[in-house]
Amino acid sequence: MEKILDKKHLDGWIAALAEWDVLGPVLEDGIWSYQTASGAVRLDHPNTKQSPKELAFPQREIFFKFEQIKGEPPKLTQVVPDAQRHVAFGVRPCDGRGVPRMDLVFNDHVEDNYYQARRKNVAYVGLACNKPPSPNCFCLSVGGSPVSTEGLDVQMTDLGDRYFVKAITETGKGLMTAAGKLFAEPSAADQKQVKQVHADAVAYPQRAIRNPDGVPAKLKASFKSPLWEELAQSCIGCGICTFLCPTCHCFDINDEVQSKAPLKGQRVRTWDNCQFPDFTMHSSGHNPRENTGARLRQRVAHKFQYFPENFGMPQCTGCGRCVSECPVGIDIVTVVNKVVENAG
Amino acid sequence: MINIQDIRDTARDMLAKGEVRAVIGYRRGSRGMLAEPAFITDPEQANELVWDPTCFHNLSLYLVHDRKFLAHIRKNPNAPVAIVAKGCDARSIVVLLQEHYFKREDVYIIGVSCEGTGVVDERKLAPHLNGFQASNAAFDGDDFVFTTAEGEKRLPAREVMADRCLECRIPFPKEHNAVFGEDKTGRQLEAPFAALTRFEAQEAGARWDFWSHHFDRCIRCFACRSVCPMCYCDECVVDSITFPVTHETTAEEKANRIRWIERSATRSENITYLMTRAMHLAGRCTDCSECERACPVNIPLRLLNNKMEREAREQFGFEPGASIGGQSLVASFLDKDPGDFIR
Amino acid sequence: MSEQQVYEPRIVAFLCKWCSSAGSDLAGVSRIQYPPNATPITVPCTGAISPMYIMSAFNKGADGVLVSGCHIGDCHYIEGNFLARRKMKLIMELIEFIGVEPNRFRMSWVSAAEGAKFAQVITDFVDDLKPLGPQDKLKKAELT
Repeated sequence: MEKILDKKHLDGWIAALAEWDVLGPVLEDGIWSYQTASGAVRLDHPNTKQSPKELAFPQREIFFKFEQIKGEPPKLTQVVPDAQRHVAFGVRPCDGRGVPRMDLVFNDHVEDNYYQARRKNVAYVGLACNKPPSPNCFCLSVGGSPVSTEGLDVQMTDLGDRYFVKAITETGKGLMTAAGKLFAEPSAADQKQVKQVHADAVAYPQRAIRNPDGVPAKLKASFKSPLWEELAQSCIGCGICTFLCPTCHCFDINDEVQSKAPLKGQRVRTWDNCQFPDFTMHSSGHNPRENTGARLRQRVAHKFQYFPENFGMPQCTGCGRCVSECPVGIDIVTVVNKVVENAG
Repeated sequence: MINIQDIRDTARDMLAKGEVRAVIGYRRGSRGMLAEPAFITDPEQANELVWDPTCFHNLSLYLVHDRKFLAHIRKNPNAPVAIVAKGCDARSIVVLLQEHYFKREDVYIIGVSCEGTGVVDERKLAPHLNGFQASNAAFDGDDFVFTTAEGEKRLPAREVMADRCLECRIPFPKEHNAVFGEDKTGRQLEAPFAALTRFEAQEAGARWDFWSHHFDRCIRCFACRSVCPMCYCDECVVDSITFPVTHETTAEEKANRIRWIERSATRSENITYLMTRAMHLAGRCTDCSECERACPVNIPLRLLNNKMEREAREQFGFEPGASIGGQSLVASFLDKDPGDFIR
Repeated sequence: MSEQQVYEPRIVAFLCKWCSSAGSDLAGVSRIQYPPNATPITVPCTGAISPMYIMSAFNKGADGVLVSGCHIGDCHYIEGNFLARRKMKLIMELIEFIGVEPNRFRMSWVSAAEGAKFAQVITDFVDDLKPLGPQDKLKKAELT
């Protein structure tokens, strides 16, 4: 299904999605984030600071609550994610491509109930990048494209005063038919313009990983490379790169005790982060990834070697967030290029 | 006006003569105009060093990293490390020396004066560049000059400078072994604590609305802690990594270890974390504001630290990083300290 | 809250074992009546109180936090209470700064001989806390 939507009808479309919690990019406190749309939604954002991964994989989620009166058996109450359906507007192609990668992690051979319960209620309405929204975009180097539809339910392309809207999935079709009257049929000129815009977008220069196909093997050969420590010398061990990443998915599970007598609390899953020094800390005190070099290697190799080995595709989607936001300028594109180059 | 070649020459000479084992400075990074920390051990690399308005990092953090690494491999330093330090950075080094984190002879401070300007605030700069990205930034008197695809863009530094630099009282590294640039202490571009004073003019209710909003937004990436040279504790209250475990430690004991702050990034936990951090920085923070710059969600952390700095100054006459011999704020007292709040 | 159910603030009281803790004992053995709202935690010296304890008490639901130690000059460790005076001033300023009612935190000097003063400090604190109502700004959210 391919349609044309006048920009002034965008709000009408969103209003028609009454069953959905509609999220749009909002600029607040100097950063873009997805927030429930109240009023006009304008899709003129570069990319949001945080990826939309938290819609299906929130930073904190409660698995169950527990309660025990001394001498009695403990009482567990499962917490089920609410059934509200969410649709995010303006999702960039790189973040869209993050979705199937998260699906692989959580649902490949065992289904993560909590993830799936949320995931099935989320739809992604993408916005193609007519030009790279960040100087650190590199989606073309990781098998993506500024006009990729992977992971999206609907793809929108900005044609100046109107959007070219294309349904990708059945859910996407449903979203469009909910406001069917607002959409017009695309003319041949519209089709031509979309083609041109997409071709220009792909041709736009981006940062690049050289010879991306050879990366997994080169990384594998570089496990013991002294380069890792050198490249991570300035790493401060914060969690910006992973927390903002559309595909980083590591988590921690803790029991949070609210009261000791009677014992009451909850089991909580929170995001965790391979760059934190205590991520791999054993209870004995031994830490197998004891320096920033080993931790940087883990993150890079996970994206560009382990994930390709397991699932046949790089996990990185080239959004460039970790590059732009690193407080000390560690740049995954440069890191991969240097390590690969060094591997010979 | 600082000639970067002078800094490079100093670095090269010292490395060549073996007077220092490394020079920590700034070099051009691979993303746009931003400088990044450089660790130079080969005299030939000294020419990579840069000095421009994007040299915001407080490099004294890496003196802490170095000290921790040496302790880990149980080695004593065989030569000092040289470090490029701005006024605020040099004061951080003084605080670390005050706390005996390392010895004065272990560090060679290559001071650089910020003279009439300071470092750029990317958030203030963005609107001036009309969506273009700068590939280079340079000082030029009281202006910054940015190179973009559209050509050169000259902006008065005051318009795009970080607040910390506008309010800086001492833009000159008093403690140094070598120093470049003029001492323009007292240039006073904006009143000290100007942002704090503006904020404090609000009612308590408005202050709470402001802070509760920001405390809710914290994602607990700990960039503020990680980027801070003063946050050098081996174990931070937010993580329990050195909890002593023996073969007799039971699972219950492990599960019941003290957790001051839960992992959840909820308001109450974020408050406990951020307030504790502010307290721990009282009298130690030298207003380099790296925490605020690093924060990916723009929490105005500088206000908290400034508040502590001003209280220390007004209530106890204390100036962080003023002299190496001085005592630290919370490990000292005066008979005349205010006590009228005590019943 | 119903009319029958009067709000009773919960106070966490950090008491120096050399003075205020003994002062609270004296108040007890002297049969002085004062509100039972305070949960005492005896510490070796007020100088040993980390601001973390205070934030943690609020985090765990205290409506008010009291720190009570020896009069200036009487510290068993010579200068612990001087150090506490500085730290507590700072945390008090910080709490007020973020918009929390400053009356939720209190510091007092109560010697081992001042049972009556201890009772008065608690009574006054409870009176001051009551109009503020429950502290829900810094407190962990209830299980939801």
